[in-house]
Amino acid sequence: MRISKEALLIVLAFTVPFVVELRTVLAWFHIEVTVFESLLLGAALIVAILVWALFPQDGSRDTDASGSS
Amino acid sequence: MSDATVNDTTKTTGEPLGEAYLDKFPAEAKVVRSALYSSFLMLALGGLFGVIQTLHRTDFLRIMESETYYTVLTAHGVFLVIAFTIFFLVGVFTWGVTTSLDRGVEDIRFTWVWLGTMSAGAVMSAVAILAGFTDSIDMSADVLFTFYAPMQAHPLFYIGLTVFVVGTWLAGADWFRSWWAWKKENPGERIPLPTFMVLTTMIMWYVATIGVATAILAFLLPWSLGLIDSVNPTLTRTLFWFFGHPVVYFWLMPAYMMWYVLLPKISGGKLFSDPLARVVFVLFLLLSTPVGIHHQYLDPGISEGFKFIAMTNTMFLLLPSLLTAFTVVASMEHGARQRGGTGRIGWLKALPWRDPVFAGMALAGLMFAAGGFSGMINAGMNINYLVHNTLWVPGHFHLTVGTAVALTFMAATYWFLPQLTGKKLWGRSVALVQVVLWFIGMTFMTNAMHRAGLLGIPRRTAEPQYDGFEFEAGVGSVAELDAQIALGSIFLTLSLVLFFAVVIGTALGSRSDDIPANGYAEALSGPEDSPKILDNLKLWFGLAVVLVIIAYTFPLLSIIERGGLFGPDITAFPQSIDIVSMAWVTAEQYAVDAFTSASEATQAAINGVLR
Ligand code: HEM
Ligand SMILES: [Cu+2]
Repeated sequence: MRISKEALLIVLAFTVPFVVELRTVLAWFHIEVTVFESLLLGAALIVAILVWALFPQDGSRDTDASGSS
Repeated sequence: MSDATVNDTTKTTGEPLGEAYLDKFPAEAKVVRSALYSSFLMLALGGLFGVIQTLHRTDFLRIMESETYYTVLTAHGVFLVIAFTIFFLVGVFTWGVTTSLDRGVEDIRFTWVWLGTMSAGAVMSAVAILAGFTDSIDMSADVLFTFYAPMQAHPLFYIGLTVFVVGTWLAGADWFRSWWAWKKENPGERIPLPTFMVLTTMIMWYVATIGVATAILAFLLPWSLGLIDSVNPTLTRTLFWFFGHPVVYFWLMPAYMMWYVLLPKISGGKLFSDPLARVVFVLFLLLSTPVGIHHQYLDPGISEGFKFIAMTNTMFLLLPSLLTAFTVVASMEHGARQRGGTGRIGWLKALPWRDPVFAGMALAGLMFAAGGFSGMINAGMNINYLVHNTLWVPGHFHLTVGTAVALTFMAATYWFLPQLTGKKLWGRSVALVQVVLWFIGMTFMTNAMHRAGLLGIPRRTAEPQYDGFEFEAGVGSVAELDAQIALGSIFLTLSLVLFFAVVIGTALGSRSDDIPANGYAEALSGPEDSPKILDNLKLWFGLAVVLVIIAYTFPLLSIIERGGLFGPDITAFPQSIDIVSMAWVTAEQYAVDAFTSASEATQAAINGVLR
């Protein structure tokens, strides 16, 4: 884990408004994205974040001292 | 930065273990607990009605007749913004005063009396509202939380509200009494910050409730009892908004209080500036009442000049909120750097995101920023015309009261419950998921509400679709917006379910002596740095009254001059006077004709613009 589980949850939460708004913003630049496409985009983004978060660049950093309380 | 800091939980809840609030103030803890539980009950009911009405108006699930919509909407509004918020804040204020003055209330029986008074009032109003669901009781109060004429409720509703407000007045008296007693024993000392915040908020509340008390006692209640025949609707509306704007600060200031006194502590740091916090509360006291007319930009019978003055005052009111944003973020950054955070953005990572108390409040604050922006739009006299009475408006206040306040209260609950029960918080990760779900749900719901409002989709209706007219979305479709709103409401409902799971789970747990100490954040720059005059509550009270007199005397006089104290013979809704209704039908016919011919042109225009 590159970040804690909890931080990951927060990052994922933040992608939601980002994806929701992205479509409106893009339309501003005359790029029309359908709901389905933006769902795909969101899913891709989330997978990318998960991959980044779950696979550490080197194995040495086990940060999960958390173990939850 | 080392990730270990992020994960260190003992730091997030502060100090080594010490005395919990319950240990020090067992009797007060009981009152605070009762107040919070009452507020949660209201939250549960209000939330239930929230999802019912959302699914109804978006046409996803209809389990009631559309005629019942206003009963549901009234219950949703009143239970949440009057009962949930105020029960919660009287609890928190009692905690704040006793903790910061380090003394119990003067007489716990009196404390129970005001809580009992508030509860009795709440029950009366709730009965009047809920009776609207059945035909077997001849009683209803479908007047929405903005209960002005010509909507009329059963007298029990108004009596209940009055009793409830009297309860809050007594509560304020209780806190002032504590302060006076403390002052005698500590002459010349600065008022501790939480107490200062409670007292300034209460002074604002005393000033603000004059408006609603007058509206109810002099007009609405006698009218619904049949003692007077009619009221002047503009007058009762103006008196309502005299109170209706400051009441939003009555919800918000306790949330601010927690951002100032709890959040920095939980971030692992100190409050950036105590004097600045005092300035903010004084500004709210001074500025929140003389602006109510900004809710009446589209009301006939009030001249544009008064509306313009209200707008200018409103814009000044942005100042304390911006100061708060600055102070709170600076305090969080201080905390993050204490915890080893570095970098321009990197410090954010060092914040205790795993702590639901912190995460909830931080997310609430963030959404409040968004709500502030849509609020500026509402406040602008001309641009307000675009969004007035559209779904934009509920979009705005679900960010402010529905998130900034409600989410902060829920997050703070996770800190308060152990203090008040002596039990460990049950389900910390559930709590974290809960606050995140609220954030996501509100993102969906409010974003779509704002956009729907821009298309002109009205608020407060079970049937926002019309025959022969289609709303057209700029991006996407109206159906998508509806889906977003409905989806958001489902997330919110799930979030509430988790919240109650945590509350109940904690309440049923067993005593633990592993509870963090009661207390609040220290300040980097303490009270000794603030000018003495800030603590002069008499002065601020006097100034607040003067500003109210300046802002309201002339509008009220001119309204009374035009319509008379008891109005141009307005009877209760639904209207039953023949002449009026006939004129209405004729006018309506004209309007429909004009509308049909105009709608084609409008539609063409809208298409043109949006293309
Ligand atoms: C389960 C969560 C919630 C849902 C699904 C929800 C949904 C809604 C919707 C769709 C409306 C607009 C209805 C219309 O105008 O036709 C509304 C109105 C309102 N909501 Fe909520 N809401 C929720 C939570 C809250 C919270 C937490 C608060 C405040 C603490 C709140 C306060 C209000 C108020 C004051 C109104 C306006 C009522 C009126 O127009 O008279 N809501 N809500
Ligand atoms: Cu206002």
